[in-house]
Amino acid sequence: MDALEGLAKLARRAREEQTPVFGVADAVRLRIRSAAPQPITLIPLGVFGGMSAVAASIFVILAVELWNYMVSPVMELVAPLPEIPLW
Amino acid sequence: MENADWLDVTASLNGEEEAYARLVRRYEQPITGLLWRFTRDPAQCEELVQQVFVEAYFSLKTYRGDAPLLHWLRRIATRTGYRFWRARAKEPVEAALPEDFLEQVEAVDDDEIDPAEAAAVLHALLARLPDDDRLVLTLMYFEDVGTKDIAERMGWSRAKVKTQALRARRKIREIAERERLLEKLGWTR
Repeated sequence: MDALEGLAKLARRAREEQTPVFGVADAVRLRIRSAAPQPITLIPLGVFGGMSAVAASIFVILAVELWNYMVSPVMELVAPLPEIPLW
Repeated sequence: MENADWLDVTASLNGEEEAYARLVRRYEQPITGLLWRFTRDPAQCEELVQQVFVEAYFSLKTYRGDAPLLHWLRRIATRTGYRFWRARAKEPVEAALPEDFLEQVEAVDDDEIDPAEAAAVLHALLARLPDDDRLVLTLMYFEDVGTKDIAERMGWSRAKVKTQALRARRKIREIAERERLLEKLGWTR
């Protein structure tokens, strides 16, 4: 008998093997529960969003105020020079 | 797809845990049988079975239902088993043939060989092959799976599987001859 024939015969016997029974349904359920992403709680997200909005508003107000005080160097070049009495 | 499977898959996707538990119970045994070919350690095998069903749950929305659910689960299980071997390859384990068994069966008719012992011998022999060769022969010998099915399960080309099978058979023949396996089994007549 060829070695491969022998292995095929061994395999036929091996296929009749009884395999163990584990009963994994409950363990799988637990693992799925622990691995599933937790629902995002909206309260901390809302607080964070609100604080961000307040900070952004303050920043915009300050930026507009600052803008009004800024003088463009380009505008200064073209603006008519104030008449300054030389003597 | 069977109607019961379809109903349970849909219910599982809607978050009904009991529906998925029913699917697990329905297909646990064939998946255990397949993974038992990858490891004969009950604890490791149980761990792999759990991994398969957890992975299947999170991939359930990708299941299109064009093939039976068991085929889809077997594909996940085969890849899980293969990954398990690849991870263990980093820590090589010398698989020894169970000598006691070989001595026991020397004079025994081949039909009287205990299937579990036959599986243990075959498992130990195949463990001496590289992972890809081992996978192809494991599925062919233990599960009676054809090259087309192996290619589909692993996402390999059929040509690769055929080449792999040819090469693997040559290697396993060499190993069996070196081990004088047939002589030990009393199958030399």
